[in-house]
Amino acid sequence: MAKPVTPPPGRSSQSPNETPLVELKNIWKVFAGVPVLKGINLNLMPGEIHALLGGNGSGKSTTMKILSGLYVPERGEIFLGGEQKVFHSPNEAHKNGIYMVPQEPHIFPHLSVEENLLLGLDMDPRAARAQVKQLAKEIGFESSFSEEAGALSIANQQLLEIIRGLLRKAQILILDEPTSALTFREVENLFKRMRTLSQRGIGIFFISHRLNEVMTISHRISVLREGRIVLAEPTTEVNSEKLVRAMLPADAEMRDMKRKMRDSHDQITDEVVLAVKKLSSDAFQDVSFEVRAGEVVGLAGLVGAGRTEVAEAVVGLDPNARGDVIIKGKDTKKHDSRKSQSLGLVYVPEDRHAHGIFLELPSLYTMTATILDRLGRFLLSRKQEEAVGNDYRQQLSIKMSSLHQIAKTLSGGNQQKVVLAKALASKPDVIILDEPTRGVDASARQDVYHLIEQLAGQGVGILLISSELEEIVDLSDRILVMYQGRIIKETERTGASLQQVMAAAFGLQGEASL
Amino acid sequence: MKAQAIKWIKTWEFGLAVLLVLEILVLGAINPTFLNLENLLYSTSDFTHILLAALPLTLIIITAGIDISGVSIMGLASITLGLTWVAGVNIFIALFIALGVGILAGMFNGAFVASTDVNPLVITLGSLFMFAGIAMGLPGLLDALGFKAYGAAGFAAYMYEGISGLPHNFNQIAHGGIGWVPYPLLIVLIFAAFLGIILHKTRFGRYLYLIGVNADAARYSNVPVKSTLVTVYALSGLGAALAGVVLTSYFTSARSDLGKEALLTIITVVVLGGADIYGGKGTIVGTLLAGFFIGFLRQGLLAMGVTSDVVPVVVGGLLVVVVALKLFITTYNQRRLNQQALRISEERR
Amino acid sequence: MSRIWRSRELLVFLLLIVLLLAVGLINPNFWRTRSLMHILNSSLILILVSIGEMFVILTRGIDVSVGAILGLSAVILGVALNAGVALPLAVLLALIVSVLAGMVNAVGVTFLRVPPIIMTLGTLGVYRGLMLIITGGSWIETIPTNIKFFANWHVLGVRFFIWVTLVIVILTTFLLRRFKKARYLYAVGDNEEGARLMDIPVKKTLFAAYTLAGLFAGIAAIIFVAQIGFVPMQAGNGQELRAIAADVLGGVNLAGGVGTPLSALVGAIFLTAVDSALVFLKVPGYWNNAVGGAILLAAVYLDYRVRMAVAAQQRQARAAVRKENNHLNPSTSEEQT
Repeated sequence: MAKPVTPPPGRSSQSPNETPLVELKNIWKVFAGVPVLKGINLNLMPGEIHALLGGNGSGKSTTMKILSGLYVPERGEIFLGGEQKVFHSPNEAHKNGIYMVPQEPHIFPHLSVEENLLLGLDMDPRAARAQVKQLAKEIGFESSFSEEAGALSIANQQLLEIIRGLLRKAQILILDEPTSALTFREVENLFKRMRTLSQRGIGIFFISHRLNEVMTISHRISVLREGRIVLAEPTTEVNSEKLVRAMLPADAEMRDMKRKMRDSHDQITDEVVLAVKKLSSDAFQDVSFEVRAGEVVGLAGLVGAGRTEVAEAVVGLDPNARGDVIIKGKDTKKHDSRKSQSLGLVYVPEDRHAHGIFLELPSLYTMTATILDRLGRFLLSRKQEEAVGNDYRQQLSIKMSSLHQIAKTLSGGNQQKVVLAKALASKPDVIILDEPTRGVDASARQDVYHLIEQLAGQGVGILLISSELEEIVDLSDRILVMYQGRIIKETERTGASLQQVMAAAFGLQGEASL
Repeated sequence: MKAQAIKWIKTWEFGLAVLLVLEILVLGAINPTFLNLENLLYSTSDFTHILLAALPLTLIIITAGIDISGVSIMGLASITLGLTWVAGVNIFIALFIALGVGILAGMFNGAFVASTDVNPLVITLGSLFMFAGIAMGLPGLLDALGFKAYGAAGFAAYMYEGISGLPHNFNQIAHGGIGWVPYPLLIVLIFAAFLGIILHKTRFGRYLYLIGVNADAARYSNVPVKSTLVTVYALSGLGAALAGVVLTSYFTSARSDLGKEALLTIITVVVLGGADIYGGKGTIVGTLLAGFFIGFLRQGLLAMGVTSDVVPVVVGGLLVVVVALKLFITTYNQRRLNQQALRISEERR
Repeated sequence: MSRIWRSRELLVFLLLIVLLLAVGLINPNFWRTRSLMHILNSSLILILVSIGEMFVILTRGIDVSVGAILGLSAVILGVALNAGVALPLAVLLALIVSVLAGMVNAVGVTFLRVPPIIMTLGTLGVYRGLMLIITGGSWIETIPTNIKFFANWHVLGVRFFIWVTLVIVILTTFLLRRFKKARYLYAVGDNEEGARLMDIPVKKTLFAAYTLAGLFAGIAAIIFVAQIGFVPMQAGNGQELRAIAADVLGGVNLAGGVGTPLSALVGAIFLTAVDSALVFLKVPGYWNNAVGGAILLAAVYLDYRVRMAVAAQQRQARAAVRKENNHLNPSTSEEQT
């Protein structure tokens, strides 16, 4: 069982008991016919750092987008200093002192840093320039103002965004997963800035999926799951175990079940179905590992550690990769993903919407996209296609009104299953699953775990990439941990504790706590 | 069964069919000769070239691409046909050479689109110019290269007034027919059936939709994106060349500027037919119906005494209105769907 | 300084010099008869249309109706002059029509949210049709001499219209650099979503871009009428394509956010110089289209290759930084297997 990753550190001592800066009441939001927020209640005190936790698709980003005027909720009220407001645009939110720093900073890459800061600002340019200088100094932003913003590091782009917010006199800052692309040192630096702002009375919503960061920086934590708030407590009252339990529904039973299943199978053979030797590309160096038939190899690491890049290179989607990839004993010099598929290796991509699914088309079209050449000779056989679709619909228990239901209207979990069906349809011997449970509801998550068991049982080799360390620890026979483009740890499952893997993912060896 | 019927009635194509019937009835009420079936069928020859170009363009638009160079390929095919014939080649062999040139021109576009990230609009804009220029310069070029035209004082003599006096059986392509069905209409229907099967019944057709909806996901799903794109632009080249051949026969003269004015109409037909400029949507039946609708509309307008100058105004206006209307309907439906879902999930609570 | 040397405008300008030198070497008469001034004079129309088109491309849009707007304005001007309307009033009328035509595009793109290519293709047909309707399809053969006078009027030894165009280029360059609202054009094209988030009025900016494209086509129409002295029905035909080609050639990025009036200027002069050189090298005029198309294709292809090379370079630089980062971090250097 996961122990608390870190002890809560010392924080500023203020106790928030004034009126909240902002209060959200019973917020509902629907996308493409699917409700994603189901009555959210949330508030933020002056000077408070309020962390929002939850898996992808839990609704935390959507909630913040509503607060910052990007989305208009179907139902619910927002009270700002006791006054009811509706924001129809970011502009209105800005005017009310709310500023969101998005996950990917919205910079103008071809314009100068100065213009990036000043454009759109309703201020006398000279006064604004003076203020920018002042703020840049306070925040510790050290880049040249005449540089093109596209050349800034992500960390500096984020600082640029924070300055933009402060220039707009924001009292409420929203930081949406600001640390996901930062180095360790940059994260520390960011936290220092956040504390300064907090002492000035600015309230901060801090979205993250990293427990230790949340425990370090926040005063209060709210956990979202499937569009609802399932936990809201001061940081001192919670530990990471409690948070994990809140995020994962039916936690205990699920784990027990998985454990049982994992223990029951020992069908790992000696046959190496995938061997990667000294693979390098821009985002990673010297990556070597093997996957045997029937084995689940977990690949852990933080977002940005290079996991997805490795997967894409292995499957043949990165033309710049150098090194050897051997699929079932066949060396694949200069292979592409088509060749990989024909040799028995398929990849289920991390970004389902961008790379996995055809949202606007019938679900069946996604399910059979990789095997159209097997369905009929010249003309596509509708009968054969639907037979394949029905097979996987049953096997993966996909909930859909018909095989021809437009994929966009399926729930996240069922969309993921449709994508899995697409990969499985080609009957692979090795499969790379990249974040297979991201944005997936609890029951679908279980189904995915089940499927991994089942495939391993059938002798399929699996490389499982996931940010959820529990998932990796529980499902894998062997675990690789990546940090900044290298595999820095490899361990058998029996020797792996969550804490060790987490520490390695953060580039720390041994038992050192973060 | 009933639900199926309702679903069918709600389709864009059904709406178009109704619109087409209404149009014919209205035009017939104004001028009864319009309702004469033989007249009606033969009048399609005025706009079959639009359809021949629009049908394969539908496939390209489904991939979220566009090809505006087709109108130049028409002229290029026409002049190729004429010049080859003048050089002493049998007219029907010349015809196939012209079609081959069209396919090659299309493949050029497709290769360019597939191997760069440049907007297809800009690429085919460049080739629109290039092909038109080549068509213009071809007679002079052949002379310069030392080819011998037969009878006349070099190919350049045909540069401006075109090549007329084509064999009678070639001219029959546009002016003959089987019973009441003129050959051009027959060619359109056969071509439409061919493309319809390709689009809706083969894996190539499926690839087009997959690419159009999400080109990245198509690549990750091992769809052969490049070869599919090259092929679909080649098909568009073939369609345009066919249109050029039919036009040549229709005017009994091969010219390098044939079809120049058709671009706006062609794109309007495809968009009215239900294809989505952002990709992933479109059917052959829709384009076919829209082609007839606009073709007859033009004739109706002319019959009603509207000058031909007004026609592009109407067609251009129609294009804009249709797209704006479709956008509006989509937004409206989305909103309704969300409200519905909200009600349901609140009730469940 | 290094930025100037890397600029596309300079590269194309150097290419232009090379082209002129090469043609001059083949036939020294070229320099005598086709001075740079002469080429400049015949590229004025394209320069103006290209600058107008540039505003739209900066916002990541496209406008294929500018040629038709040119034609329509030219017709309005011709008809008005022949009807005895005073010259300043007729010019004003032509400009108003061009601005209105641009506004129609702007309304479609910003408020009806019709894709720019569809919207402007539709209005291309509408404006061409209007042109035919107004004239009844026949050319306007005679234009009063008062406007033609300006085409040959030399001020300080340089043609009046060259001065006018030069002033416009300098003015727009200055405004696009210094005027806050003009910078919005770049911001919207560079990152539309970001612009919206930064409280930049995206719709107003787009609206202005299409309206300006219309206005510049209108100004070009006035020079067209003065220079040519009659209005054929083909007036402005294909001018939109040449304008796009000129912009791309001069370094305006079709993906939005990059480009200056200087890009349009250099690109337009280059294209005109090519035409001029072709004529001089006795290549028949009907090859101009083919060469123009080929130049556009070559330009976008080269542009693509350059972008890819730059992207690869940036990627490698970033990878190098990462490696260094790795090296600095003591906890990763001791590998464990």
